[in-house]
Amino acid sequence: MTGQKPEPIEEIRKRFKDEWLLIKVTKHDKNGFPIEGILLFHNPNREAVYEALEAAFKQGEQELLTCFAGPLVPEGWEAVLNVVVTL
Amino acid sequence: MLWSRFDPTRADVRIWARLVGPRGAVWCEMVLDTGSSKTVVDERLLARMGYNLLEAQPIAIATAGGRTEASIGTVRQLVALGMEATNLPVLAMPLWQSLGVDGLLGLDFLRRRNLFCNFEKGILLTLPFSRSLMHRFSLSVQIFAAL
Repeated sequence: MTGQKPEPIEEIRKRFKDEWLLIKVTKHDKNGFPIEGILLFHNPNREAVYEALEAAFKQGEQELLTCFAGPLVPEGWEAVLNVVVTL
Repeated sequence: MLWSRFDPTRADVRIWARLVGPRGAVWCEMVLDTGSSKTVVDERLLARMGYNLLEAQPIAIATAGGRTEASIGTVRQLVALGMEATNLPVLAMPLWQSLGVDGLLGLDFLRRRNLFCNFEKGILLTLPFSRSLMHRFSLSVQIFAAL
């Protein structure tokens, strides 16, 4: 666990490029979106962040945020996403 | 009315979503995916949130690349784009880490309201379905503001 005081989420994202982040949400904007938080954990591996998320919940955290601080897909790639349920 | 902002310079439309699970609430980023008939959440995230997917119903799905399988899990609450769904069945499946998101927001969630998108300015607006001429007029005014 790494953070100590709340800071804007976008600032945290800029600091940890290409890493997955786990943030404790401390402030929302007028629409309810998270804008400020405390960085709890960061790692290039998403599974490690999910593991930290579970641990944070078990320690009593109630509202967390997870995100990737990088591009959607690696440079030079394109994303084709679609899922259709076939019963 | 709620305006959601997205980065119009990106190739995708990412939005914040709030998922509630047995252990607490998680904000995560999801891709707006009108090509998906169902909303998808990474199965590992759901498991870490306390959902038991071992008893989840398996289901066959078709993707652009072919046929695969996923589980159906029921999310207690999903909030995104000013809309809220409770006990929403979602597809739980592994999502490639390099996508950089935890889920895909599909048509099953999106079709609860009208969705207006300004791709130039990066504005998403969800509006209730029109019920009368006056209501339609007031909705038009709100869309006008987002143009």
